[in-house]
Amino acid sequence: MQTEKKKVLLSIRDVKQYFPIKKQSFREEQKYVKANDGISLDIYEGETLGLVGESGCGKSTFGRTILQLYPQTHGEILFEKDGEMVNLKEQPANKLREFRKEMQLIFQDPYSSLNPRMTAGQIIGEGLTAHGLYKRGDTELRDYVMDVMKKCGLDTYMFSRYPHQFSGGQRQRIGIARSLALKPRFVVCDEAVSALDVSIQSQILNLLSDLKEQEHLTYLFITHDLSVVKYISDRIGVMYLGNLVELSTTEELFERTLHPYTKALLSAIPTTDLDDKKRERILLEGDIPSPVNPPTGCKFHTRCYQCQEKCKKEVPVMRDMGNNHMVACHYPLEK
Amino acid sequence: MRTGRYLLKRLIYIIFVFFIISILMFAIYKSLPGDPVRMMMQDNVKPEVYQQQYEATKKMLGLDQPVPVQYVKWITNMLRGDFGYSTEYRRPVKDVIGVPMRNTVLLNIFSMILVFLIAVPLGITTAVKKNGVFDKIVQVVTIIGYSVPGFVIALLAIYAFAIRFPIFPISGVKTAGFNGTGFEAFLDTARHMMLPVLVMSVGGIGSITRYVRASMIDALRMDYIRTARSKGLKEKVVVYVHAFRNALIPIVTVTTWWLIGLFGGSVVIESIFLWDGLGKMMITGLNQRDFSVVLAMQMFYVILSLAGNVLMDIAYTLVDPRVKLEN
Repeated sequence: MQTEKKKVLLSIRDVKQYFPIKKQSFREEQKYVKANDGISLDIYEGETLGLVGESGCGKSTFGRTILQLYPQTHGEILFEKDGEMVNLKEQPANKLREFRKEMQLIFQDPYSSLNPRMTAGQIIGEGLTAHGLYKRGDTELRDYVMDVMKKCGLDTYMFSRYPHQFSGGQRQRIGIARSLALKPRFVVCDEAVSALDVSIQSQILNLLSDLKEQEHLTYLFITHDLSVVKYISDRIGVMYLGNLVELSTTEELFERTLHPYTKALLSAIPTTDLDDKKRERILLEGDIPSPVNPPTGCKFHTRCYQCQEKCKKEVPVMRDMGNNHMVACHYPLEK
Repeated sequence: MRTGRYLLKRLIYIIFVFFIISILMFAIYKSLPGDPVRMMMQDNVKPEVYQQQYEATKKMLGLDQPVPVQYVKWITNMLRGDFGYSTEYRRPVKDVIGVPMRNTVLLNIFSMILVFLIAVPLGITTAVKKNGVFDKIVQVVTIIGYSVPGFVIALLAIYAFAIRFPIFPISGVKTAGFNGTGFEAFLDTARHMMLPVLVMSVGGIGSITRYVRASMIDALRMDYIRTARSKGLKEKVVVYVHAFRNALIPIVTVTTWWLIGLFGGSVVIESIFLWDGLGKMMITGLNQRDFSVVLAMQMFYVILSLAGNVLMDIAYTLVDPRVKLEN
């Protein structure tokens, strides 16, 4: 992996994404679900950044916030374009549409994310016509779409079929083909393989890594499946309750785990090795706290197995523990 | 190919159902109390003459024959386009029914156009701006619109637009003694039509707006809407192409039933506005035991709802590729 001189594609600074909750009574104070509560990180060109965490910790929200699919609450998302960093939040709607060409999203659920009234060809080709890359009904468009379909492992005769006539794996391929047809530079894979069974998962993962090689893509790979993320990512970010708690390269994270939460997560990876007695299984107690009223101090302190007084009061900041290994913990684990 | 076979099958079913219903209808009207012959006769004659005339009229109307024979005669004539003889108007039903049919269809077509022009865009807008001030106002207004009975709205409208501010005529199809032709006649009828169309549309606008809104909200919540947005499509395309097409199925269902209902439902409105239409015709026919007229109209409604069902199925295949007409 070339670590030298990496070009930053996306620079994310203190991003917050709050969703208002419906008020019970008129006089009640407006409350928010703090789905993302101040996340900062850089995504380098050509890397695959894995994002893991429990369900409900704000992974998907983060991916969608980057793509400006929600009205962003706070923070800066800077996207590199022609050597300049552009703040996406400040872009007017029609400017932002141009950026959509460069940043795409592969959805979690291949069943509901395809419009049932459109054929596969229309779904894949629509973005192209919308951005004026091809004219509607052009034979060139047809050829290009069929090309993309082939690349994503779909047969061209499927061009005029409707989504309900495909299997789950094929639908996911349509979703991938749709995103990649626009030749984006940055793709958010939001649980792109979670809805598929294991044999298809590996097919799709291989397809994604092949396409990355061919098209020089950058992925933000959101998943709750640690074995998937270990397989595909160059770097991994661990999220807990709307915050990033640890961020490092894949080997580092698995070798030198620093955050207690990450440790607990990793210990939960199922293994087929019966003799692996050394493995200690860390069980976290209690449920994930509500993102409406998150705990004070370190948000993890309510479930942390080595919580100290300081954790309950002070919010830990991300700090570099060497080797570009970032962690947000007052008492990081050291072996 | 398969669709063709399916439609053929449906057609055969329809014919079958049509005959069964026609037998039932005929039986029901035959067993109703009241004697159409007597309704036709004058009373101020001597009993012997009366009896003679009675027999003669009965024979002329074919009512002296056994009921099954009457049925066969009636249905063959119906199919030939001869709907019988109206005892009330003393003319063939076909001549009697022409003008009211035209009037009713005119009324319904205009109110349908009005309803769709208003309800569909309104439903879409309120769905897109869900829970906004405008949406909430529309919600309240539409609930009032479809829960207040038609005759109440009719009376209010008459009071407001014909008495307080006499913009439109109170009732009728055309101005008494009016003899204009062509465009002038059309304008005159249009002026008379305004109030009934308005009143008939209120309920329709209320319910269709709410249906469109509900199904649009459902459609807009789907993941593929997010897909469409992330493709970088214009918001208009997202709403009108991606969401609306998916919202169409429930709208088609409601619209078809409502369309069929319009022809029967206009009885009340037509009576209030003295609109010479099928609804009024039906009431008069029933009151006067004019069974030929009533039966002909009933069969018209039967055909309408049977055809409506098939049309609805065809419409489904047009709006949703997942629906296939086969069995």
